[in-house]
Amino acid sequence: MTIDGVSPSTVVRPESIEELAHALASEKGAIVPLGAATQTYFGNPLRRADCALDLTRLSRITEYNPADLTVHVEAGVPLEQLQHALLENNQFLPLDPWNGPRATVGGIAATNAQGPFRATGTIRDWIIGMKVVHVDGQISKAGGRVVKNVTGYDLQKLYTGSLGTLAVIVEVSLKLRAKFQRTATAIARPADESGAAALIASIRNSALQPISCEWTGPENEVLLRFGEHPRAVDWQLKNLPAADWRVLEDADEAAAWEKLRGRYGQLGPLVLRVIGLPATVHEIIKTYRPAAWIAHALNGIVLMQIFDADAIRQIRGKYRAVIEKAPLEVRRKIGTFGLTDTEYELMKKMKEAFDPEGRLNAGRHVDGERN
Amino acid sequence: MKKEIVKKLREILGSPAVIEDETELLVYECDALTLFKSKPDAVVFPRTTEQVAQIVRLANEHRIPFLPRGAGTGLSGGALAVEGGIIIELQRMNRILSIDADNRFAIVQPGVVNLHISQAVAPYGLYYAPDPSSQMACSIGGNVAENSGGPHCLKYGMTTNHILAIEAVTSKGEIIRLGNAAGETVGMDLIGAIVGSEGTFVIVTEITIRLLQKPQWVKTLLAAFHSVEDCSQTVSDIIAAGIVPAALEFVDAKTIEAVEASVYKAGYPQDAAAALLIEVDGFREGLEETSNAIVEICRRNRSYDVRVAKDDEERARLWLGRKGAFGAMGRISPDMITMDAVIPRTRLPEVLAEIARMSDRYGLAVANVFHAGDGNLHPLILFDGRRQDQVEKIHRMGEEIVKLCVDVGGALSGEHGIGYEKKEFMNLVFSESDLEIMMRVKRVFNPDGLLNPSKIFPTRRACTEIGKHTTTSTAEIGKRVEEVLRGSAR
Repeated sequence: MTIDGVSPSTVVRPESIEELAHALASEKGAIVPLGAATQTYFGNPLRRADCALDLTRLSRITEYNPADLTVHVEAGVPLEQLQHALLENNQFLPLDPWNGPRATVGGIAATNAQGPFRATGTIRDWIIGMKVVHVDGQISKAGGRVVKNVTGYDLQKLYTGSLGTLAVIVEVSLKLRAKFQRTATAIARPADESGAAALIASIRNSALQPISCEWTGPENEVLLRFGEHPRAVDWQLKNLPAADWRVLEDADEAAAWEKLRGRYGQLGPLVLRVIGLPATVHEIIKTYRPAAWIAHALNGIVLMQIFDADAIRQIRGKYRAVIEKAPLEVRRKIGTFGLTDTEYELMKKMKEAFDPEGRLNAGRHVDGERN
Repeated sequence: MKKEIVKKLREILGSPAVIEDETELLVYECDALTLFKSKPDAVVFPRTTEQVAQIVRLANEHRIPFLPRGAGTGLSGGALAVEGGIIIELQRMNRILSIDADNRFAIVQPGVVNLHISQAVAPYGLYYAPDPSSQMACSIGGNVAENSGGPHCLKYGMTTNHILAIEAVTSKGEIIRLGNAAGETVGMDLIGAIVGSEGTFVIVTEITIRLLQKPQWVKTLLAAFHSVEDCSQTVSDIIAAGIVPAALEFVDAKTIEAVEASVYKAGYPQDAAAALLIEVDGFREGLEETSNAIVEICRRNRSYDVRVAKDDEERARLWLGRKGAFGAMGRISPDMITMDAVIPRTRLPEVLAEIARMSDRYGLAVANVFHAGDGNLHPLILFDGRRQDQVEKIHRMGEEIVKLCVDVGGALSGEHGIGYEKKEFMNLVFSESDLEIMMRVKRVFNPDGLLNPSKIFPTRRACTEIGKHTTTSTAEIGKRVEEVLRGSAR
């Protein structure tokens, strides 16, 4: 296995949290925690790797309480395994990250992986507690096992999106949601960009509340997904703004979203996540003319395929933007997150507080952001 | 406090914005948790972020502890000046700076009253979702510090789910900005760590909040039960049926007695052992069916009276009773302690039965009014503060209730925070290791511990903290000695 041109000399596959803690306590080199390895392209270039810590054997659902709408899982549980278990009680974790069903819960948390389903937030909004192992083998937890909790600092939020550079996430407690009684997807293909922009504007100003609203380009396809009480779904379908809508349900609907995921896979090699506002999505597309894009149109976020590192610098002059995917040579030249000075300083101090020798995923996050 | 420091504070803020008169300071010796009292040395009323930063820098220079305070409605002693020092009262920073209806966010100052936000954005068909019971008085800055909840966070989440960006003054007096109006996390979720840090990380001076579209339709129901068990079972059954109510609130007989005797009189059935206030919202289509399904579940659990509010007026009255319940307790008891613990909601019946047994054992009445949908209990222990025997008992009983909740897999606090009140209980849920890691993060934000000291961490640990510092360098020892002396010098 090679990540960013670096190959770990040893791979450890612990079967339990204690075993993992023990392995970390005795390891003195650079450590790379890994889930299903579906997103190893994300982040600043990995600098060193002596030991890969494979978490896929930590794959137990340790406790599931359907009546409490909570589940506690080890970090290596794949999303599809979790969703499958939850389905038995008509429940689910309302997330559909681009990196797919094979991705592990720990990996999704560590990378803050996202997808089109954003109406109820991202994984940070569903995590209620976490257990982590620190670089010296110390085990600690934050949050708890109940759906509402303000006991102690919300460190689980800090670990989410930290790319395993503060500590290794080993157990995650999640709150859940009842499955929608019905979902349906409406797809339209306006003639041009302005048509798509106008359509999205009228959706934003309507009473509709889609759980996903994606605008893909350059083909200008608009995908809306609704999930609610069956009658509320019907009402929304009946009240769509005028366009040539195609309504999909069941297997056809699932196929359409799987196709969009494929579309995300094809974006590249350089993809930037540009953070604007719902009302500025069209402006962003018009200004930077990406070769292809997927916009979370109601969230003001555009994932766009761009040409080179210069374009990243140009865009960052006006918008916050995270490198979603990029070849190693680009990531060597320009930081993944484009942090402000304040963020950089705070995150650097945080990294030093947790991992002073910089051995956890060396170079991946703030420690590789500015060279 | 030294005259020279008061003079400098007056230079920063102008004379009337600094209080140091002993009698005037009495108002600030506690927040809404009146059990613990400690007087600050001064209270200041800044109007700008720059003034807050200057005050913090001055406090750092003289190594004086300082802490932010909002409306003082907190229930865990978060705004208690445990070590004296300066209270930075943010109530005069109370402007709504901008409303972006198109992109559904607003930028507000920390002193803005929670409810005023929803009132200001109502013309756009928008609202701010988290609605603590004190929303008529509590400030948004305080909500951010405590990660406040409220009845509707069952469906819409806590404060942390609605904060997009902040401006803050660090413990050293620097002004920083974090986040973006899209609410998209870039790198580590620093805002997620700051919200709910109880004013021990930074002082938040400007907040960008998410606004939501008002639901098309709302239905509010009140179901009365002759037994607490049936009432609790109904809660579990509604959740198990896959219904996501906007709110699911429990009131017991004692609470109903108090509410009905007060100005918050809501027409709650006075012969009920317990009642549920249930709200569903969303699209008008389908809501009737959901509401009917809930009525059916209530009846199946032997509810003898299910009432669906006919109009907004009746809805408002039902909510008035719930939101005024804490205040109404004054009708039946001179004093009370508001507890706040969370349990897995399936354990409600056994925990409530055990609390009832404790109430008998201690001879202290307990009223239960709480967010049943997310298992967030609020046992209100009623007592007479003039009776020393009762005051002693409430502490022991409170501790027993907390332990009971922790034993069934719960948490110390669902929305009020740990503050000063519950810090000694932290060892019940967190190991030394857990607390040490939290302390590390605190030190990143608040390295000298001058910002809101003596909160959250058990005292035993605070000593260890000083011990650790003294081994690092002689300069540190000097600083620490000064801090210890500070107490006696006052």
